[in-house]
Amino acid sequence: MDSFSTGSSGTGPPQFSTDEFMDQMKVQLAQAYAQEFLETVREKCFEKCITKPGSSLSGSESSCVPRCVDRYIEATGIVGRALLTSRSNS
Amino acid sequence: MDPSALNSPDLQRFLNQEKEKAMVNEMVAKLTSVCWDKCITSTPGNKFSSSESACLSNCAQRFMDMTMIIMKRVQSMQET
Repeated sequence: MDSFSTGSSGTGPPQFSTDEFMDQMKVQLAQAYAQEFLETVREKCFEKCITKPGSSLSGSESSCVPRCVDRYIEATGIVGRALLTSRSNS
Repeated sequence: MDPSALNSPDLQRFLNQEKEKAMVNEMVAKLTSVCWDKCITSTPGNKFSSSESACLSNCAQRFMDMTMIIMKRVQSMQET
């Protein structure tokens, strides 16, 4: 992750509040999660949709990809909910 | 950041919450990846078939069951 920027324009050591730090950290965490998710979806959907790479994406390959993304998001929801159920039962 | 702010209880609580959220997120991501590979065998369609969505849900739960079994087994091995 990037180093945190500082809010100070003064000459002393960089100072910013705990709130600013927490806000920045939330943003960076969200970005890191999104990045990781994107990479996973890309890998999974390449595997499922592009079975024989040609000189360009075929029509069926191009239409497969957005469907795959939707399905993977849906799968994440199903798994997440199943985990919640099993955690509350254990 | 003022170093004394590192001791703030707000920050500690925040960091603990984010750590927990990160662990949950990682578990869900890993499980989704594993269960997707096991359950979605054909080209993704416009929706999941009922067997595909049942498989995903079952997969996650069985994985958790298995985790418990493994933990108990390792624990009993350490006790003998």
